[in-house]
Amino acid sequence: MTDETPTGRDTSGRFVKRAATAVSAMSRTSDEGIHPMSKVLFGWTERKNIGAILFWVFAVLSVLLVLADLAVDRHEKIGFANSVGFYGLWGFLSFAFVVLMGWPLGRLLRRDEDYYGDAGGPPADVDPDLVDTRPGAASGKPEGDA
Amino acid sequence: MPAFLTDLNPGWLLILAGLAAIFIKIRSVRQVITIITPVVAILLLATTQHGVDHLTYNALGIELSFYRVDSLNFIFGLAFLIASLLNAIYALHTDNRLQDGMALAYAGAAVSATFAGDLMTLFIFWEITAISSVFLILQAGTRAAYFASMRYLAVQILSGVLLLDGIAYVWHYNGSLSLEAFTSLDQPGALIIFIAFGIKAAFPFLHNWLQDSYPKSSVVGAVILSAFTTKLAVYAFARFFPGFNELIWIGAVMTIFPVFFAVIENDLRRVLAYSLNNQVGFMICAIGVGVAGVGNPLALNGAAAHAFVHIIYKALLFMSIGAVLYRTGTAKASELGGLYRSMPWTAVFCIIGGLSISAFPFFSGFIAKSLTMSAVAAEGAANPAMIVVWLMLLFASAGVLEHSGIKIPYFAFFGHDSGKRVKEAPFNMLLAMGMAAFLCIAVGLPALVPGLGYQWLYGLLPYPIEAAAYQPFTLDHILTQMQLLILAVFAFILLKRLMLYPAEKPGVILDTDWLYRKVGYGAFRWVDTVWSKIGPATAAIATRLASRAYDNMVATFSPRGMLSRNVFSGGMTLWTAVILGLVLLVSYLTS
Repeated sequence: MTDETPTGRDTSGRFVKRAATAVSAMSRTSDEGIHPMSKVLFGWTERKNIGAILFWVFAVLSVLLVLADLAVDRHEKIGFANSVGFYGLWGFLSFAFVVLMGWPLGRLLRRDEDYYGDAGGPPADVDPDLVDTRPGAASGKPEGDA
Repeated sequence: MPAFLTDLNPGWLLILAGLAAIFIKIRSVRQVITIITPVVAILLLATTQHGVDHLTYNALGIELSFYRVDSLNFIFGLAFLIASLLNAIYALHTDNRLQDGMALAYAGAAVSATFAGDLMTLFIFWEITAISSVFLILQAGTRAAYFASMRYLAVQILSGVLLLDGIAYVWHYNGSLSLEAFTSLDQPGALIIFIAFGIKAAFPFLHNWLQDSYPKSSVVGAVILSAFTTKLAVYAFARFFPGFNELIWIGAVMTIFPVFFAVIENDLRRVLAYSLNNQVGFMICAIGVGVAGVGNPLALNGAAAHAFVHIIYKALLFMSIGAVLYRTGTAKASELGGLYRSMPWTAVFCIIGGLSISAFPFFSGFIAKSLTMSAVAAEGAANPAMIVVWLMLLFASAGVLEHSGIKIPYFAFFGHDSGKRVKEAPFNMLLAMGMAAFLCIAVGLPALVPGLGYQWLYGLLPYPIEAAAYQPFTLDHILTQMQLLILAVFAFILLKRLMLYPAEKPGVILDTDWLYRKVGYGAFRWVDTVWSKIGPATAAIATRLASRAYDNMVATFSPRGMLSRNVFSGGMTLWTAVILGLVLLVSYLTS
């Protein structure tokens, strides 16, 4: 598309063209459906040992935050909230309780998708390309929306 | 600006533009209208004089006030108008006249109800919000959406009828429909109005219309629906029931129970609907703090600020999941995952929404929720019961982080790779999300320039002096909030590593709607079946008995019957019977 632009431009024109090409490249999803910005923004999540890294980062962060209680003078209206690590402990336990309750509750309350007899499908205003089943119909076309 | 314009309720402008948009076939013209109208409405609102009845009308001896702005409703109206603008941008890729029109009309009705100067006007627009919004569910075009929309409409109309009923009491006993707060639920009409508002605010056990309908509406519709109805109810509570301690407990329960549903729910739009419930709980709880009929300035500021920021970050979350649904055709966690590769910008905006709703410092939820938490903690110093409420809210804060801060972005954009490779969301969706994300951050920042950042929002709150005195960015406050959130995130990582986090499974989760969709419907069907069998059977028995009695009578009394075998005795018997009958009749008539 950008190749159609005439080449004999002054410097500012070329700069605009180059910038436009760069922006266009960064916003165009590849044929494999990978957006170029995904590498820039979230490439770090693809590291092999990211789980362990995150675990240790948050473990250390948690310890540091709790230890910070010793240094920071707190003035809580509710007495026991002043104790060291109260908020951290409450946050950790609340979160773990909610998640672990997911096991029995899921077993108790989950039913088949058509339990009410109307499982339904996606709403009418999803991407029209989704309905089009031709191969490659969902890619390559420039965004004409808005 | 001319007086007639500043006297015009901006909500009316939206309704009129919405009705006009339905008939405008040229898409670009309609798009210009849907975007320009909220902008003009915001300008009108900004220039309006506060505390004055701008537009009054006397009907049947009732003084109706159609437009009255004050410090309480201003911020709600402004949030509604901003949401309306964001919705319009988000919907630009569609070409649906009815949806565009009804979206504006619905927003307009909510704004008009917010700025109503009397109860009857509130009721009129309360009903219009119900009727206009149902189209947004219907636009999904599925069978499930159709049935959900009918259930939705029934519940909303019920709320309206109760409200009208309550208003009739108030009018009868007080002779006035002014916007004065109640001071007790024993006042005439107070309890009925309380329940009417409670339905719209989705109180526990009255809540399920929300989770039933919003996730079944169209992609655009869910974003629009998320903003108005429940927050209009929050405003109505703040107006009429401030300081009602019942609200503290109702609100606290509301913050907690949706958390458990959200953790097992597979449909991410339904997770957001539960999350909406939970957030409204914080507001309702805040409204309940203080003296009945007055409330607590700090807590009411908290409720109003929370409503404002919530409207924006909840819209942002619905927009991001809507974009995922738009591109992939599903919003089910079990079918999603790994979408950051295809939709990185949507992922970024979703995370910003998640950080805001989880109340991370420097995001909008923090500066709003802090007001409520501080007010409840201050009450807790004097009243031990409030310590329990405070702990419940703190628990719910970790719960919000679970379902909205982590579950939504993690299962849609990260986690198990679904292999779905799609295009990034359309530009208009990204623009709307970007604007909402900007507001989430801009409003949550410390006031580096005085009057901007959080101070801008605090300046718009119902009690600006109390708000100005409140300092959300203290070291201990930031530290405690970070402790709560970071250790909760650590719990997530730990449970994930230990394989203790429940996997997302397809299925529907039973909620109170089970009572009317299964038990109620089943009972109805049972009565119907039983009646269809018993009815004809009873009729047959009655017919048979009647015909047998007739046969017996014929066999006895007819000329060829038993009594007539002897002609004389037969005639005499008949005449005796006739005379006896006449005697009976005469004695009955004369007695």
